[in-house]
Amino acid sequence: MDDIRSSPDRDLVDAVLANRPGAFERLIREYQGLCWHIIQRMVRNPEDARELCQDTFLRVHQCLHQYRYESALKSWIGRVAYTIALRHLQHKRIPLVEHTDDGDDYALVENIGDGFDLEAACAEEETVQHLHTAIESLPPLQRTLLTLYYLEEISIPEIARITGLASGTIKSHLFRSRLRLRGVLETRTGVAA
Amino acid sequence: MNQHIDDNIPPFDDPTSEREWLAQERAMRRERLHLDPAGDNARGRRYRLLARTLREPLQDSLPADFAQRVAARVAAAPASTTRFEFVLMTALAIALVIAAGVVTSMYGSEWLPSFRTILPAPQAPADRWLLALAGCLGVSWLLGQWQRRGHG
Repeated sequence: MDDIRSSPDRDLVDAVLANRPGAFERLIREYQGLCWHIIQRMVRNPEDARELCQDTFLRVHQCLHQYRYESALKSWIGRVAYTIALRHLQHKRIPLVEHTDDGDDYALVENIGDGFDLEAACAEEETVQHLHTAIESLPPLQRTLLTLYYLEEISIPEIARITGLASGTIKSHLFRSRLRLRGVLETRTGVAA
Repeated sequence: MNQHIDDNIPPFDDPTSEREWLAQERAMRRERLHLDPAGDNARGRRYRLLARTLREPLQDSLPADFAQRVAARVAAAPASTTRFEFVLMTALAIALVIAAGVVTSMYGSEWLPSFRTILPAPQAPADRWLLALAGCLGVSWLLGQWQRRGHG
């Protein structure tokens, strides 16, 4: 706990609570990327996402006095963003996850596959675009978890703090998403089954 | 907002799934470190392509002045909120006074006499002056509260 209490988080929070000029703007700049990644991946509509990001920081400002340094400020703000995006999805009746049969994807487990040229595949715009489309078509929760894990480089326990999900559940979602996306790549680039 | 989270990440019950998970993790780490893909098998390379794609920034982003605009909005909010609260409180106080007047005019003749019997009759001049002083103090206090709210 001491490392959190003496971290820059505390200085920033104290400055915002003391209404020091520029402090809240600094906090927003620090964490707007994280909020954007969470909310945009959840709701997928840039206009809605911008509005929800604004709502997130207004809420952060309103509730910052309740922050108890029990987790990193990043996780606490991420949790606010996630909760706001989640409510938006519930309001629009968009399911967070989809319940599909993963049987086809599981057939790939431990299948090493045939030769695959990583650099050539990266250079091939169509393959990368195909992968982007497949990522976009994932359910909101899986898209968000992958973005937090890869782009934000947040650990599974920290993602658990943001989403309120158990670490095992997050691991399972990441596993299945990656397997599914690998399946998409196998279909596109060919594989020896 | 505070919660208890178990930091342990349990292994999969199925050993083949766990091995696949470890392969996914290894590919992610190797891609982060930009290690030579020559050391990876085809599965690892596909997971590395996935990692590379997932690490690309999102196409859309927040406007450049987002932080500035939200901070300005927050800075402007307290004054307008206070003003709104003050107007609302004033309106409610006026409504309360009017309602009290209406109720007194309608039913006052029934219950005012019983109050007169309870209260001491201000016969002596000293009692009258004391009541006048208490009234002045009460009105001054109310006006003070009103002005403080108005300037807050």
